[in-house]
Amino acid sequence: MFTSNPFAELTAFLPPIAMQAYTVLMVVAVVAGTILDMLHKSSAKFFALNSKKSKARAKRTLRGAETVSLAARTIAKEVVTSGEFCSQQRRISHLFMFYGFFAYITTTVVMIFAYPTPEMATPIFIPMLWHIGVLMIMLGGYWFFFLLRANVVHDGQPVFRLVEADLFIVTLLGSVTFALIWRIVETGGNVTMSKIAFGLYILFTTVLFGTVRWSKFAHMFFKPVVAFQRRVEEAEGSSALPSSTPHQEAR
Amino acid sequence: MGLFSRRKTVTVDSDVLVIGGGMAGCGATYEARYWGRDLKIVCVEKAKIERSGAVAQGLYAINTYMGMHWDENQPEDHVRYARNDLMGLVREDLGYDVARHVDASVHQFEEWGLPIMRDPETGRYQREGKWQIMIHGESYKPIVAEAASKAADEVYNRIMVTHLLMDKTKPNRVAGAVGFNVRSGDYYVFRAKAVIVCAGGASHIFKPRAVGEGMGRTWYAPWSSASAYGLPIPVGAKMTQMENRIVLTRFKDGYGPVGAYFLHLKTYTENAYGEEYESKWYDQTKDLVGDYIDMHPVPTCLRNHAMLEEIRAGRGPIRMVTTEAFQDPHKETVGWENFLGMTIGQAVTWASQNIDPKHTNPELTTSEPYVMGSHATCSGVWSSGPEDFAPDEYQWGYNRMTTVDGLFGAGDTIGGSAHKFSSGSFAEGRIAAKAAVKYVNDLSGEQPQVSEQEYESLKQEIYQPLENYKIGRNEIVAGTVSPSYLLPMHGLQRLEKIMDEYVGGIGANYMTNEPLLTRGLELLDMLKEDLTCLGAEDLHQLQRAWELHHRVVASEAVTRHTMYRKETRWPGYYYRGDHPKLDDKDWHCFTLSRFDPESGEWTMEKVPVYHIID
Amino acid sequence: MPTFVYMAQCDGCGECVDICPSDIMHIDTKYRRALNIEPNMCWECYSCVKACPQNAIDVRGYSDFAPLGHSVRTLRDEAKGTISWKIQFRNGAEKNFVSPIRTTPWGSIKSPAEYEPPTEEMWNSQELAQEPKTLKVDELPALTREQFKPGVI
Repeated sequence: MFTSNPFAELTAFLPPIAMQAYTVLMVVAVVAGTILDMLHKSSAKFFALNSKKSKARAKRTLRGAETVSLAARTIAKEVVTSGEFCSQQRRISHLFMFYGFFAYITTTVVMIFAYPTPEMATPIFIPMLWHIGVLMIMLGGYWFFFLLRANVVHDGQPVFRLVEADLFIVTLLGSVTFALIWRIVETGGNVTMSKIAFGLYILFTTVLFGTVRWSKFAHMFFKPVVAFQRRVEEAEGSSALPSSTPHQEAR
Repeated sequence: MGLFSRRKTVTVDSDVLVIGGGMAGCGATYEARYWGRDLKIVCVEKAKIERSGAVAQGLYAINTYMGMHWDENQPEDHVRYARNDLMGLVREDLGYDVARHVDASVHQFEEWGLPIMRDPETGRYQREGKWQIMIHGESYKPIVAEAASKAADEVYNRIMVTHLLMDKTKPNRVAGAVGFNVRSGDYYVFRAKAVIVCAGGASHIFKPRAVGEGMGRTWYAPWSSASAYGLPIPVGAKMTQMENRIVLTRFKDGYGPVGAYFLHLKTYTENAYGEEYESKWYDQTKDLVGDYIDMHPVPTCLRNHAMLEEIRAGRGPIRMVTTEAFQDPHKETVGWENFLGMTIGQAVTWASQNIDPKHTNPELTTSEPYVMGSHATCSGVWSSGPEDFAPDEYQWGYNRMTTVDGLFGAGDTIGGSAHKFSSGSFAEGRIAAKAAVKYVNDLSGEQPQVSEQEYESLKQEIYQPLENYKIGRNEIVAGTVSPSYLLPMHGLQRLEKIMDEYVGGIGANYMTNEPLLTRGLELLDMLKEDLTCLGAEDLHQLQRAWELHHRVVASEAVTRHTMYRKETRWPGYYYRGDHPKLDDKDWHCFTLSRFDPESGEWTMEKVPVYHIID
Repeated sequence: MPTFVYMAQCDGCGECVDICPSDIMHIDTKYRRALNIEPNMCWECYSCVKACPQNAIDVRGYSDFAPLGHSVRTLRDEAKGTISWKIQFRNGAEKNFVSPIRTTPWGSIKSPAEYEPPTEEMWNSQELAQEPKTLKVDELPALTREQFKPGVI
């Protein structure tokens, strides 16, 4: 199961072009969804205005090298190590999901475009990485869903009362869970069940990427931008926060 | 929280149950452990004890410290001071009792890590005034809460206690309490041998000056929802001095504290034209209250009175002259840090209006009325005093026990015991705890019994607002207007308007009389009936609903006591238009009330004031 | 001045929900981030502001009386035992303050159970725990009925 290319096996009932077109469609949906979300909210205008206001308050100007260094620190901390999360558990769960997703998506695209048919020998590390990615997302995701969601843990909401903010995590978990179920059923040999599982996998995946406009996806980009902006403000002296504390040194 | 949100009933057994984790509650929890080594001590708090209660944002001064070991003050001096400030009517036994113990608590706070300022010349605590010392108290509450956490067997946060439970085996004895978990919704039944009520006094029973977002900027914490009264009154505990509401002169809008300014920065007040005005009203005030105007310091209410009269005469706003004092950088720092450690909102208000006291003399105002037992006034339960010297009529076995067996109180809960503030409330918690542990030991194995029937029926009543909302919601499309249920905020605003207009709020210039009070009771009666129709959308609203219940109970007591006392004892706090003068002949006494849970009737009586200190 | 939460800085950790004395900081169900659900019950106690590890909570003075353009922000450092404040006026003036918050390590308070248990004598007296030592005087003050003001029973 772990070593065979799942998408190549689909060609039994789906031409390769179907999955390729679907993948392109999903990418377009994400890009369009994010852009529409930002346009609808005028987010870009907001960040630009904010940046201007903050520059007006600046007590000193940053040299180019300083700015680059702050950007690098932001990428290293907030992006690469999910440092935006103060809770260690959330940070770790997010890292699992983030890197799991990265592995899962890249290997999906590679398999669908570079190795679309069973005749082309897929190097086994690719599907293995795909499955590892799926498992990582599930580990981080179910951990988050059951034990870490703030509205459940801190606000007393019951675990299964789903709210609008759950759209992303539920469709993500639905997508990768049915991906795994599909693989297990497929390996078992029941063709009908495997088609049903695959159908549900595609359904959840479509909803996941199609509802980006209404989920928190765009914030994935806003947060590192704002984290960078805060570092710049501290360095330029335009921060509204008081200055004497090691809290800043850690950043 | 469960997977499918089924509501559980959680039973918690304890020997001593402390209700409320504020200053008094933390003092009680701490002391109970010392005396009750093997007892089970439980503290239950509606928020989280690290920041709950009136000291959430911190304090910049401890207002009750004798300094006995430096010969600064003796307890009897404090009794005289409090007595004077309350126009003669305090429980001198309770006051002496707190004053003799309070220094120990303050020294303990310092040992625990509270930074207390020192006078650079004498090395003693830096005095702000005769009774007050200055502290860097931003973390006062977390420090004190840590002490309580070390002492308690269990601290239950986010449980709103709604009712006390009575012993089914013996009349007039407490057996525990019930409430609900504000996060999970679970029902909590506390069974205890002794209960110490250390809950908050009453803010938000009179209409506040700011009515939009500004409703939140009450002088006393908005979460002081009168549970100190709403819990004991329905079980028949006698209450005293509920008419003794307090009105505070504070900085405009932000209600920031003026104590450090007057005492340490030596600022003073003037009217809109830069004139001193208090002395103008001396004769008029003397005509109202007699020799009380000649006391030193002048009683707080009389200073309010002069200010109110000056404003009524059209010479407001009243300002505090700060421009002189603020030229000194040290005083300027004290002036600002005074707010940052205690009432941050005042700093925000001034920053927003560009008020720098160095260049502008800020406005003062008088607040809406509040009812409480720990500050400069003393409304609360009628309690037994210290065993060693309380007069017979003030003592019935255990110190700080109410007229209900096994039910103790401390802080805002206890009436007649004024000028305690934070340290005095903590000390009073300790006093009540020692007595409560003694009471538990004296029970020797006898266990008060809660009635399952009672707490099951209370459970229905407690969750009813959730049911009302869910069902009533079907009738309307959306929005806040329903013909069949009231939102807690609706009930609160109605209560505040009734009290404001009929019981002497700001809208009436603190004036009331018997016809107004009678009408007020009628309107309160209808509000009480409507409380059965409260609708709560969620657990947060359910908490608001029960806070309203407690506020309404307290408000009725306030109204009845105000009607009973036929004189104006504290002009500047409130006025009886039909009895405008102080009447020491007939009213140099405490007012006492008791609500009878069986009949639903209130009885009022007078109790003598014994001046045990000369 | 009620609190508000910066969207792009809050990570929905729930610390503010846990600490708010007024029970008004909750998690918004659309963004799973913190939100002040009842600003008119906000005392501006800054408990949530101080508790937020991301400094994502700020305060805007009550709309009833506070014009816009001001800022009062804080950083509370438990390890250092200090709190810092920056006040910015609407007219641009600025004031900074730093104060100590605690002189001992957090968690260092002794439980009362660690002290010697009270003796029979202490039980029968009016003394509270550790008195009269903690009063720093030789004896707990007391009154006797003989000392009462004349005329009092």
